[in-house]
Amino acid sequence: MRLLAHAVLTARCEIQGGALVAERKSPTAVLREGPRALSEAQVREIEEADLGSVGGVDIDDVIEYVHKDLKSLPDFITLYRKYLKQRWDVYDLDFTQDKIDWTEKMSEEERQSFIAVSSGFHHGERQVEIELPVFMIGASEEEKLHIAAQIEDEARHTVFFDRFYREVVGLAGDGIMDILDASFPWVSETFVGPFGLLAYQADEVRRNPYDERARVRYGTNYFLWIEGVLALSVMKVTLSYARWRGFLPAYYAGFTATCRDESRHVQGGMRYLQDAVRKDPSMISEIHDTLRTILSLSGVASRRIYFEPLGWTEQEVQTLFFQQLRRKLNDVGIDLPPDLEVLLEQVEPTLAGG
Amino acid sequence: MGEPLFFSAQWADAVCGALTAGPSKEHRDGKLPEYWDYFELVKSAYPASWALGCRDLPAALGKCPAYLTVRWGGGSVTECQITGPDDPLDATYVLGMDYDGWRALHDGYDAQRTVMYRKILLEEGNLLEFFTTIYFFVECLAVIGTVPARRPT
Repeated sequence: MRLLAHAVLTARCEIQGGALVAERKSPTAVLREGPRALSEAQVREIEEADLGSVGGVDIDDVIEYVHKDLKSLPDFITLYRKYLKQRWDVYDLDFTQDKIDWTEKMSEEERQSFIAVSSGFHHGERQVEIELPVFMIGASEEEKLHIAAQIEDEARHTVFFDRFYREVVGLAGDGIMDILDASFPWVSETFVGPFGLLAYQADEVRRNPYDERARVRYGTNYFLWIEGVLALSVMKVTLSYARWRGFLPAYYAGFTATCRDESRHVQGGMRYLQDAVRKDPSMISEIHDTLRTILSLSGVASRRIYFEPLGWTEQEVQTLFFQQLRRKLNDVGIDLPPDLEVLLEQVEPTLAGG
Repeated sequence: MGEPLFFSAQWADAVCGALTAGPSKEHRDGKLPEYWDYFELVKSAYPASWALGCRDLPAALGKCPAYLTVRWGGGSVTECQITGPDDPLDATYVLGMDYDGWRALHDGYDAQRTVMYRKILLEEGNLLEFFTTIYFFVECLAVIGTVPARRPT
């Protein structure tokens, strides 16, 4: 498995239609490059790309774009206006080439590795769709618009994965839950950590929708951890593989557009947490307590996922998680108490040579 | 001898035995040894108790809400019994589930999704503390689901 990954990692150039195309970065290059500034032209390309052109956008640029506004977070009306410009039609995607790539070009190892990662998204998108409505009740009027847009985004992402699993992977079923049932065997047992917690936090908010402390705990798990750390990290794994290998063009386009949607969600979520702490500095303890629970669970694995066929090692994926967490905390200005720093160091892998 | 009635004292005794024995070898074989090391570590020091309620137990099975109370200490189950609506409720975490959810769990529905889809919900207790050992709870819930019982048709 490791040898296969190495072979893939060293294949940097390729001939397409007789012409030598530009060298593609390896999927993990970003771990060593660190943060970088996007040019105005790159930002414009990301913000204005439609579904037909978003496939040409580099996923590393989109993830960088998420962080662009974290230090001066946009207000909710600005985010809502961006949503209106950036929404896309999931039924416009054509998965014909993806099906050919999946069945004829990808190896069995690549397919199994890919599906082990993407099944978490298949279920994760559904979970963040259904657990969000209760959070709207206690939100400001402006934030309600943003949350309404986010719910629609998450519903679209759920359909995106439903289509991918039906039309590319080949799972069969009548309804959306049938396909979720069919992909569930690939979902790790530890999925219930963050997503079960979110379900119970949503219930806590449902019972007391104006309990700001419960809302901050919910927001820490949903916006900071699930969307800001887990989603953005794991998105990068499958997208950088697809871009690097030149496979799965509709998946790449749809999921890159999804990542752009997530940038609004993360920015809105960080805005909410930042505002909550500014209004009441004692709210920081709710963020810390939530992170304490999440980090205490994050070192546990129930099954081994082989990322190597996608160009990654498990340690590199973990490193990406914690890079994402540290960047969010730094950009939004959330300090960790000493015990959480120790906990983070215990579960945070170091990337050799990184 | 026939299977005990669902949510009866005999069924609670059988649950106690199943939790003490832990997940089956077949179930364990599907997951990493490190995961079970973590499970055993949590089990060895788990200080809490659960009252797992059935909100709408059919009349043929008793009064509702009824609770399966499971108390842990010293690495084993120290108490496992059915408590009714007239008994004092004394548990670190009180959870509730509809009879349909219990029936589905008993028929093999996944314990992880039983939690994630909010079929069973935490009604009393500290949520963040409860989740620090959620994998232990989910595996125990799966074990409870495997204990045979008769249910009214």
